[in-house]
Amino acid sequence: MTEPKSSLVLPRRRALLAAASLATAAPLARPFIGNAAAAEPIKIGLLLAKTGDIAAQTEYLANGTYLALEERGNKIMGQPAELVWLDEPSPQGSQQNMQRLVQENKVVAILGGSLSSNALAEQATAAQLKVPFVCNNAAATAMSGANCNHYTFRLNTPVAVQAAMFAPYIMGYGKKWYFITANYAFGQDIAKSFKDILAKAGGTIVGDDSVPLNTPDYSSFILKIRQAKPDMILGGVPAGDLSTFLKQWNEMGMKGTIPICEIAIGDTDIWAVGQEAAAGLYTSLWWYNNPNNPPDEKAMAAEYQKKYGKPAADKAWMGWIAAKSLFESIELAKSTEPEAIIKGLESWKGGSAANPYYWRKGDHQMLLRNLVVQVKPKITDKWDYFDVKGVVPENVADLETVFGSPEANGCHMT
Amino acid sequence: MLDVILSQVATGLVLGGLYVLIAIGLSIIFGLLGIVNFAHGSFFALGAYFALTLYQYFGWPAVLLAPLLVGVVGMAVERTLIHRLYDKEPLISLIVTFALALMIEALLRLIYGGIGQPFNQPPFLSGIYLWGPLLITKYRLTVFLVTMALLVGLWAFLQFTPFGRILRAASRDPEMVGLLGIRLPRVLTAVFGLGCALAGIAGVLAAPLWTVIPSMSENAIMPAFVVVVIGGLGSFAGAVIAGLLVGVVTALTIQFQPDAANAVMYVFMAVILLLRPRGLLGERWERFE
Repeated sequence: MTEPKSSLVLPRRRALLAAASLATAAPLARPFIGNAAAAEPIKIGLLLAKTGDIAAQTEYLANGTYLALEERGNKIMGQPAELVWLDEPSPQGSQQNMQRLVQENKVVAILGGSLSSNALAEQATAAQLKVPFVCNNAAATAMSGANCNHYTFRLNTPVAVQAAMFAPYIMGYGKKWYFITANYAFGQDIAKSFKDILAKAGGTIVGDDSVPLNTPDYSSFILKIRQAKPDMILGGVPAGDLSTFLKQWNEMGMKGTIPICEIAIGDTDIWAVGQEAAAGLYTSLWWYNNPNNPPDEKAMAAEYQKKYGKPAADKAWMGWIAAKSLFESIELAKSTEPEAIIKGLESWKGGSAANPYYWRKGDHQMLLRNLVVQVKPKITDKWDYFDVKGVVPENVADLETVFGSPEANGCHMT
Repeated sequence: MLDVILSQVATGLVLGGLYVLIAIGLSIIFGLLGIVNFAHGSFFALGAYFALTLYQYFGWPAVLLAPLLVGVVGMAVERTLIHRLYDKEPLISLIVTFALALMIEALLRLIYGGIGQPFNQPPFLSGIYLWGPLLITKYRLTVFLVTMALLVGLWAFLQFTPFGRILRAASRDPEMVGLLGIRLPRVLTAVFGLGCALAGIAGVLAAPLWTVIPSMSENAIMPAFVVVVIGGLGSFAGAVIAGLLVGVVTALTIQFQPDAANAVMYVFMAVILLLRPRGLLGERWERFE
């Protein structure tokens, strides 16, 4: 009987092969070592999910972020700059990766926060580590409300504000609403905000389903909706879940029977649904085919199309504008010190004179107008799904009012 | 209320049928190869992506080839990777197949991008049937019928063909099968390919219903494990019953307690294991005791 071979013992031939591989690969790393010695780059952390359904959005967020750096020749303040991208596996895992970015990679600021649940945890860590954190996606109201802090800047419009801006557009459908929202921060936030609005309008909730994330089959939920006969469905399911819901809504013959309304849709969510199944009225921060986009955004969209062979999604713009504002703020501050970057961000302005946007000093929330978009009755282009129905608020002067004051939103900057 | 429950049961049976298809492949691979294949959900995703690509280039009939391609990929994986794990600790196969799952997902992301791909049911299967209180779509009814036909065919194959007999014998005593002059390595390669092809069929059928996205395997693998455990490891009939039960229980939970819809299958599994530790139809397998 022979003794079983230990899997830890490497046969000589393989050991030789491994050594040869290492020897071959080692010189490949040398140029980078040389560059690092020549000029230490300014490092910016990127904290975005690399797997899971949300990865459909983070791919665009990351592309937009990298594009913003490439536009500047990969330099900030004349120095080489680079992005260090780590994953957001869970709230706790995201916090650990944020620590790694700061303590091991020595980043000067961090971009990211793809899911509200992760971003809420990350903003607390940003305050502990005293590092500027520009959140480019999460929409949970608390981020720039009760949980706001000195180090966190948030791009997406809070759920409660989007709900208030969207309400006039959806009230016309009727006052019997069916809620179908995801059972995590984003969905719960949507449910709460719209229930308040509906209660004030004297409406009725005819159904209220809290749906687990990554639900693969919505048919049973759709049967319930069909039976409840609402005037309108108020959705709060994110990313791939919304795509799945809309596909099955169409598959069950429901498309066109009951209007579907939801805030903060991502373009990738609707592109995944397909031309024949797409439906609904939504809010969005940006649409690549909006003729009113300012010249720098049009240039970014063209560059994106050229580089990736497809249109820039709203998430690409969100990644791009969050990164651009951070890079320009560092330039403005002429420093990579946290307090200098924060001051730079607080005084940064983007957009056009007719449609400006900026980080508000009191809560570090970006104040910008949203779009109300509706899926076209007939889609002829595989990317061009939306008609822009309006810009909210209608007047730029109303931005401060619709966003509410930091104090009214519960933000007491720490 | 009865009409709602009937419709929910019908919906649950379709969902359960998909779970059965995924789980049967997993169960066969574990029963014969002793491999806990964590990458099984990835072969499900491969089925969906192959169907999408074949449809885009050659139209609907070509979609039928997708499961075959998945089976071929499965056999290639078995020859290059899995066959090295047969005499190793089960933990190693778990880790290797988990890494394989991550690699397949990353490959899909690299080739197709991270965003979901639009893919809906063929036009000739669009529409709904309304029979009294019962509502079911043409596509879901087709999925259910195809699933049932496949399961009957697979059962007959395992039960009545010489190859099926070899498979059943090899699941109990592979050494004896080898001593009888049967080239076991080839059998094992074919079995792994068959298991993957079954996952591929489920992926093809699910593609028009679920979002076709690289991470779609995550939604397939956990229910498959739950179904195999509830049914009893290696039990064909157990997996069928368990899959359909899980589908129906999930659908009814959505009706009455929607936020518990994803958790209910785990509770169900815990209850079954408390009552029957080997699962519903699980038997004592000397190889795994």
